[in-house]
Amino acid sequence: MTNIDKYAYSSKLKHTAPLKKLIFAMLALAVCLWADSVPVSVLVLFIMGWCTVYKGGTPVALFIKLMLVPVTFLIIGVLTIAINASGNKDIFLFSIAAFGTHLGVSQSGMQQAALLFFKSTGAVSCLYFLSLSTPIVDLLAVLRRLKVPKMMIELMGLIYRLIFVLLETADTIYTAQSSRLGYANLISAYRSLAVLASSLFIRAYKRSDELYTALESRGYDGELSVLEEPFETHWTEYIPPVTINLVLVFIALLLKRYTGGVL
Amino acid sequence: MIENILEARNLYYTYNDGTQALKGLTLGIKQGKTTAVLGGNGAGKSTLFLSLNGILKPVTGEVFFKGLPLDYSRKGLKNLRKSVGIVFQDPDSQLFSASVFQDISFGAVNIKLNKEEVRKRVNMAMEQTGITHLKDKPTHCLSFGQKRRVAIAGVLAMEPEVLVLDEPTAGLDPIGVSEIMKLLREIQQELGLSVVIATHDIDIIPLYCDYTYVMNQGKIVLSGTPKEVFGQPGGLRKVNLRLPRIGHLIEILKDKDGFAFNDTANTISEARRLLRDWKTSQDKSAEGVLKHVRRN
Repeated sequence: MTNIDKYAYSSKLKHTAPLKKLIFAMLALAVCLWADSVPVSVLVLFIMGWCTVYKGGTPVALFIKLMLVPVTFLIIGVLTIAINASGNKDIFLFSIAAFGTHLGVSQSGMQQAALLFFKSTGAVSCLYFLSLSTPIVDLLAVLRRLKVPKMMIELMGLIYRLIFVLLETADTIYTAQSSRLGYANLISAYRSLAVLASSLFIRAYKRSDELYTALESRGYDGELSVLEEPFETHWTEYIPPVTINLVLVFIALLLKRYTGGVL
Repeated sequence: MIENILEARNLYYTYNDGTQALKGLTLGIKQGKTTAVLGGNGAGKSTLFLSLNGILKPVTGEVFFKGLPLDYSRKGLKNLRKSVGIVFQDPDSQLFSASVFQDISFGAVNIKLNKEEVRKRVNMAMEQTGITHLKDKPTHCLSFGQKRRVAIAGVLAMEPEVLVLDEPTAGLDPIGVSEIMKLLREIQQELGLSVVIATHDIDIIPLYCDYTYVMNQGKIVLSGTPKEVFGQPGGLRKVNLRLPRIGHLIEILKDKDGFAFNDTANTISEARRLLRDWKTSQDKSAEGVLKHVRRN
């Protein structure tokens, strides 16, 4: 988690207007979900991968590794869709007899599973592109410009800032506990974990108090207003991301028309 | 006469759980000087500081800013906090934004300046604290010392008249300590600020501070220039404090080893002067003896 954040800050795309990246990723995500087609999903995956790796300078290995995280879950999920049970052996491409019935993979089940698999990876790649190229701070600035309620943005900002403090605190407590054999066996591990959770809660509560005091002394009046450096953009810059997505939509429509929605 | 920019008169403060943190505390912060508030853990320093900018309201007693008692109305507090800025001990509890630039701008935006002025002040504050290169870094990737500088910059951007710092040297390595203290001295001289620091780092006081208060159990027990305060080692030891290392050395040399110093010294440069003077006087007396011997 900390790592993704670090790569976002070192991305070559960091200084590209965040709104542009957001529009690009969200449009591609929408197209990918709407098109419901394997080739379009694969295209989206490749476009996002290419943008992240070549345009953003994120290491290929990292991108692949990150993609593998949801893929593991996906494979398990998709298997349950692909494998069906039926008394009729003929509907399956291949099957085994078990528990007095037939378990196997049918053509339609296979298609459904593949579609779901590629749709999900395509969609995830859009989000990875965004999170590997855009620091949260920039994203929040865009959301503010898009008139998302202030309360939500402030909360998101605070959570993002303090999650690192919380992790650090948890880490310190964990180290302190394990250096005194707090996790030596299962029973003591459970006990230590309980203590860790409760003391983390108390510390977080105390810290929120301190934060409030500190904010108050800098003139906090209910709103976390800060100065944001606006990104200078011209409307013409939005043409490429929109065009790419229009092309994708076009391809999807063609595929639907000529293959009858099989792919 | 030096005017007191901030004054506390006979402050009493009790927390909800019954802890009496301040028990009749009186002190004055001199305009344009660096004042140290020295005290062990739990002496009430933090409570005092929070009272100085109106976060805590004393039960009895009053705080005066520029000769006028504090106005605890919304508007009055806003004005006060613009003039009296506090830098807290733990930068992690002060920095709320993941962006260094945005965090520094917070106070300046709150005093309703226009964007240009805010930007100017933020850039200036980053320059003064030497963190311009950290502008685009996320807060959680900074080192502890860097975070403390960002916290100081966030207060400086409000252009306060008094800068109050709670343990500014805590948690820093020796180089970090002298850097941050030099930085404070520079800012103070450049901007004519009045600086107040709470500390139990005794050795930095004779180096960087003009005036010292010693606090114990919610009261001021000693006060004066560092030289005056460290001239009363008994009083300091009674409240679990000590002399600066150099001062202690000079004291031992004087009391136990019979060196006839006619002054005290608390810093290396003071000690050098003292020892040089002592050497000269020794040489002189030796010469006197020689002359005396030759004459006879």
